[in-house]
Amino acid sequence: MPAYISGRNVNLTFRPPNRGPVRALQNFDIDIGEGEFLSIVGPSGCGKSTFLNVLLGLIKPDSGDIRMDGKPLAGPGTDRAMVFQEFGLLPWRTVQANVELGLELKGMGGDARRKLSQPLIEMIGLSGFEGHFPHELSGGMKQRVGLARALATDPNVLLMDEPFAALDAQTRDLMQVELLRIWQTAKKTVLFVTHQIEEAIYLSDRVMVMTKRPGRAKKIFKIDLPRPRDYEMRVTPEFNKLKLQIWNELKDEITV
Amino acid sequence: MLDEAAPRQSFTDKHRKVLLGLLAVAIFLAAWQAVFLVVPFNKLFVSKPDLIWDALVKLIASGDLIRDLAISAVPFVYGFGAAVVVGVALGIVMGWRERVSYALDPIMTIFYASPLVALAPLVIVFFGVGVSGKAIIIFVLSVFPFIFNAQAGVRAVDRLLINVVRSMGGTERDLYLKVIVPSVLPYIVAGARIAVGRGLIGILVGEFFAASEGIGYAIARFGDLFALDRMFACIFAIMVIAVVLTEGIRWAERAAFPWRAGQ
Ligand SMILES: Nc1ncnc2c1ncn2[C@@H]1O[C@H](COP(=O)(O)OP(=O)(O)OP(=O)(O)O)[C@@H](O)[C@H]1O
Ligand SMILES: [Mg+2]
Repeated sequence: MPAYISGRNVNLTFRPPNRGPVRALQNFDIDIGEGEFLSIVGPSGCGKSTFLNVLLGLIKPDSGDIRMDGKPLAGPGTDRAMVFQEFGLLPWRTVQANVELGLELKGMGGDARRKLSQPLIEMIGLSGFEGHFPHELSGGMKQRVGLARALATDPNVLLMDEPFAALDAQTRDLMQVELLRIWQTAKKTVLFVTHQIEEAIYLSDRVMVMTKRPGRAKKIFKIDLPRPRDYEMRVTPEFNKLKLQIWNELKDEITV
Repeated sequence: MLDEAAPRQSFTDKHRKVLLGLLAVAIFLAAWQAVFLVVPFNKLFVSKPDLIWDALVKLIASGDLIRDLAISAVPFVYGFGAAVVVGVALGIVMGWRERVSYALDPIMTIFYASPLVALAPLVIVFFGVGVSGKAIIIFVLSVFPFIFNAQAGVRAVDRLLINVVRSMGGTERDLYLKVIVPSVLPYIVAGARIAVGRGLIGILVGEFFAASEGIGYAIARFGDLFALDRMFACIFAIMVIAVVLTEGIRWAERAAFPWRAGQ
């Protein structure tokens, strides 16, 4: 199967003014199939968010070839949407107006927007909070608004930067199930960054482990667990074996 | 789902802030009035609330007060209006372009920190005692809060939010309308709150030095005539205007920018 999204030899160095340069990505390679669910795990600061921003079209790498559907990537587009690590909610917009941001930017009218945002707000469990501002929400609630906003425009590709990190364990489990349901019914391609190995295995077709900064693809694990997956799967021997293998690969990269 | 509303509060609980504030004002006025029950009263050197109140009623009834205020309002509108336009424009450029701010920051800070009212006589010499002289003094005093606040507002625009809107297909226009303007506007309105007070000082100072009409002139003239009750009545009028304007802006801020409540 030809890759739907591919990155070859991607190099990126940040050059902040008045400070030394930071190499974030070095010869980074990746292939993502159409409709695939791929997770990335890697040490903090290894360039995961950076690469998602590159795919989103916000940062241009110094060198390397990035293609989507065979065509070189040219800037942002509504075929992709990101769930940002730091939420990125507009403080002057209510929950509903934040969820509808992408629809509004597409020029969609108020009634049509509402029809799409209402079920999403329900899905993330924030019915009754439509009129609240971000500063009135908890971290986990904000994160779910960010998720609903990314889903609202129905993008082909979902880029998710630790989208469940701020959630409590139970809400996280529910959101994982919702995400898998959406992914399967809407046939989306998902690139999912997380620090939780278990979450990565549970959700993904494949899991990529990255090296420490400057980030490269270190190893890719194929997750051959049957779908639909259920909660009990997390205590099977196969699951735990994968967990251990991935941890062994990852732990050498982590320096404290 | 949202929870039910908090338990009902009694009237005094709900308005405790306002009631306590009013109580302090009442005590102050009563004490002022009461002092002259023991201290001999000489109306050439002091005044007291009941006389001031009488003078105020007379000044309003005769139309003098309204006329003076209307006359002073004209240069205020010109000077303050110019301060908004120039201050916001300059502040945005200084916030946006690092080099412009490097160049202008020191000189602006010096002007802002210095007692510019001292220059008032000079302005009057150059521009005369008419509307233009007063408007320029008001402008000079009230422009700086707009410059500094607009600059701070532009600097505070969150890069992440710019990226969010860009990543969802937002145009340059969308960036302005959906991110930059809503971020900067509250800063400018907060600047206006400070600028109003400085502008009112400007009007008084301008009319103290040289003028033949206006509220500042009225205050100076009544002072010269030892008509202290009428002088205080005019000061009271200015005070009320200052409070109404600044509190009005504060109220408008809360109504227009409810998300700022959490900051
Ligand atoms: N705008 C920037 N300017 C300068 N350096 C940056 C910038 N963004 C990221 N970096 C640096 O690039 C490196 C990679 O950052 P990135 O945010 O991609 O890490 P990450 O893998 O997402 O980490 P985490 O798991 O902690 O979110 C870090 O060392 C960071 O300091
Ligand atoms: Mg990150």
